[in-house]
Amino acid sequence: MPEAKVPNEERLFSLVLALLSSEAGLTKSEILSTVQGYRQRFVHSGDNGNLERQFERDKDDVRELGVPLETIESPEQAGNNHNLRYRIPRADYELPDDISFSAEESTLLGLASMVWREGSLSEESRRAIVKLRSLGIATAEPVLSYAPQVRVREESFEPLRAALDKRVLVNFEYLKPGEQDSTQRTVAPLALVQHQGRWHLYAKNPSTDQFKTFLLRRIVNPVRPSKKTFDYATDDAAARALAELEEVWQTNLAVLRAEPGTDAATRLCKRRGASTTTSGELQLHFTDLNILADDLASFGPEVVVISPAELRSAVIERLTRTVADHG
Amino acid sequence: MVKKSPPLRAQDKLVFLLALVPYLMDHTRVSVADTAAHFGVPEQQIRDAVRLIAVSGIPGETATYQDSDLFDIAWDDFEDNDQIVLTHLVAIDDSPRFSAREASALIAGLQYLSGLPEHSDRAAIATLMSKLSRGASAEPTAMGVESNEVDETLALIRESVAAGRQLEFDYRNSRGESERRRIDPLRIESVDADWYVRGWCHSREDVRTFRLDRITQPTLTLEPITHSAADVSLPETLFDSSPEDVEVLIEVVPSAIALLGDYVSDTARLEPHGDRVRTTVLVPHFHGLKRLIASLPGVASVVSPPEARAAVSDWAQSAVDRYAAGQ
Repeated sequence: MPEAKVPNEERLFSLVLALLSSEAGLTKSEILSTVQGYRQRFVHSGDNGNLERQFERDKDDVRELGVPLETIESPEQAGNNHNLRYRIPRADYELPDDISFSAEESTLLGLASMVWREGSLSEESRRAIVKLRSLGIATAEPVLSYAPQVRVREESFEPLRAALDKRVLVNFEYLKPGEQDSTQRTVAPLALVQHQGRWHLYAKNPSTDQFKTFLLRRIVNPVRPSKKTFDYATDDAAARALAELEEVWQTNLAVLRAEPGTDAATRLCKRRGASTTTSGELQLHFTDLNILADDLASFGPEVVVISPAELRSAVIERLTRTVADHG
Repeated sequence: MVKKSPPLRAQDKLVFLLALVPYLMDHTRVSVADTAAHFGVPEQQIRDAVRLIAVSGIPGETATYQDSDLFDIAWDDFEDNDQIVLTHLVAIDDSPRFSAREASALIAGLQYLSGLPEHSDRAAIATLMSKLSRGASAEPTAMGVESNEVDETLALIRESVAAGRQLEFDYRNSRGESERRRIDPLRIESVDADWYVRGWCHSREDVRTFRLDRITQPTLTLEPITHSAADVSLPETLFDSSPEDVEVLIEVVPSAIALLGDYVSDTARLEPHGDRVRTTVLVPHFHGLKRLIASLPGVASVVSPPEARAAVSDWAQSAVDRYAAGQ
């Protein structure tokens, strides 16, 4: 009697249940011949190539969800693939007992998940919230309704994040501001951080062991992951990257004059760390001269750069270009 | 912002099943409606999942999925009363851990929001982040977002909603005109480092969006709020459009389309033109547009109408003139 096709989620669910409840683990042939969704398609003493490939994909899919699907080699027969056993150790699968979340924490996490609206980050936050709901915590409604968003529009973001997880070196072309030609970079990606509204890659050059920060928007061609892995520690890389950017931001100071009563005067004063001197000049910290120049050019005649000279000429150059393009 | 969720993939459905079982285990008897409300999903999704769980299980000793190897539910209660009662359990004891990527998405989201009044307790946020790390199946991906120091206006907006009193402030629009406005705050929105409040504007008798960094002299009035987030439907896009909007044709380097933000919708027509693309944007006036174009020198320009080109050119030229005058 032909059986109806078992839905994918039923096969995946059955796989997880089977591997969770088998302490010794199951071999591939045990899985394919007995687990719901595979067994219906299993051919005894025949070719199960398609089914084996299905199992390989399923393993990846399940692991991607944070389910620790392990492979154990039988000690007597190391190297023999047929005797590999698969299992999901309960302690690594289950959320530890001492981790619980209050209603307020659940609210904060709900807000945090809303920050991502695009791509894999949005999918993953959604899944994380489903897992959080599993704990049955009620969520407190915040007084004020929020719709926060961090955008990830750079094409290089996803491949870099994947490379971070796989801990492999990446290659890309990087265009430094003011230069005509991009240069080829090969680095170990350590962290992705957003600072001042812009995404940066914090990386280590494996040949010089030097750390370097790249602006994602200056990566000009698709990022190519290599097969070479690295083993630098990354646990505090994001914090270090942000601290380094913060240091650069602290060091760089621009002095401006903003026309009173204009958009520039209102908004630039409100930037973090902005201060006004006794003579009425505005002092702003910045991370990247070219980005600040773009920002300041948008204010047109409302703001004039006094120093540094390099910033002043960068802004004039931009304005002149805009005039020329619209002449 | 309630958006339609994309159709669930098998992986999402698997996470849902793995999350739903422990929730049902903790609730001896729970209605489909309550469960749907708790997870924020349609009731039918709960019913489908329960039906699948009820016939799932492990191959068991006989490797043939005997009844004692399967979950079971009180079928009458389910079919007749829409109530869920698990009567037999297998394999699953607890909620699953977060994946490394899921945990990192929430951690980075929390970092981004750490400037909000809700996050004033820094130690509590740090504890929450460490719980996410410990609750992940592997070290979370190194990702960080700079905390946004949101200005004190936000705290006042929150107070306005909590106290139910209208908020008043000076607002300088993109034309450069300043005006006292009175609003009922409805929602705080953000895009990267830019924060907005959307509210019912009593001066305009309509919903309006205000940039927080353009707000000055905010005060709480004694007037009660007449509109709340629950009774006003907010348009999806931050920018308020009107039938009087002008069409402007712009030309942009393809890689920079994202920088045009909400000016260009996801569905906008993009016509290739040499190594650039052309697209039409709708604007209420040229004041915002000239600022945007001036911030993208050599990257984006206005093609037509001539008045829009002139607005951009005049804006940049008057700035160049100020520099030339030695300011």
